[in-house]
Amino acid sequence: MAKSPPKITIVNRLHVLRAEKRLTQEQLAQEIGVTRATIVAIEKGGYNPSLELAFRIARYFQTDINAIFSVEEEETK
Amino acid sequence: MKRLDPILLKLFLYGIPLVAGFALFSHWYNTGGLTTGSAVAGFLNGLAGLVVATWMTLAIYLSFRLLVSGPFRDQVLARITFIRERDEREAILTGKATKKVFLTSLAFLILLFCLSSFQVSVYRVPLEHAVDGKTGVISLGLGFSFLEQVQQDHPAALTKEKDIFTYQGLPLSSAAIVLLLIAWQIVSYNFTMRRLMR
Repeated sequence: MAKSPPKITIVNRLHVLRAEKRLTQEQLAQEIGVTRATIVAIEKGGYNPSLELAFRIARYFQTDINAIFSVEEEETK
Repeated sequence: MKRLDPILLKLFLYGIPLVAGFALFSHWYNTGGLTTGSAVAGFLNGLAGLVVATWMTLAIYLSFRLLVSGPFRDQVLARITFIRERDEREAILTGKATKKVFLTSLAFLILLFCLSSFQVSVYRVPLEHAVDGKTGVISLGLGFSFLEQVQQDHPAALTKEKDIFTYQGLPLSSAAIVLLLIAWQIVSYNFTMRRLMR
């Protein structure tokens, strides 16, 4: 039987970076061209952005994508 | 055509109250509610016919344009169904909601097909037709006709003495079923989208 892949969770530091820049969710959303609801969803972990949007966010904060998004592996039973 | 379509669509939508008014007037006129000898009333009745005919032609033309023109379809149906795709997340949610509506509509259609083709009849037959002394009969059947109002054989009708229960397809008209499906698609899409957007 094929081994089931480990379950991964993508976590992000978007709210931290946004707070450092003193930006509201609405302002950040306008800067990167999405809706405020999408920023809320990303910060809450309810939505994982596409690679394109993730790079757009990283470029806006002038940082590496790994500095915003990271992977947490969960133990599979 | 691209410039003409929005104008025709506005004419069609704003014309609905006018058409309803004229239809009511025409009904009133033709059922004897008005003195049919009046020249003005006769002229208005003629005008009503012209307006309704023009509006019906517009309805057929616009339905056809919805089928063949992608941009026109997006413009009109997106407004009717409240589809909003302002960013990638909403595009994904739209896809999820559309998939759900497609599958539930398909399930709904299968159910309607079953309900319209199944035939069940419970009845009693005279003693001379009884099998092993039993006069109660349950008759199950499948009926399918490609065209409306095709006479189908009902052999049970010949031997029935007392009809207890008969079900021979959906009692709804085809127009009512189509309207029900349109309403189902719009309502279920909006419900799913609202739930996903939370």
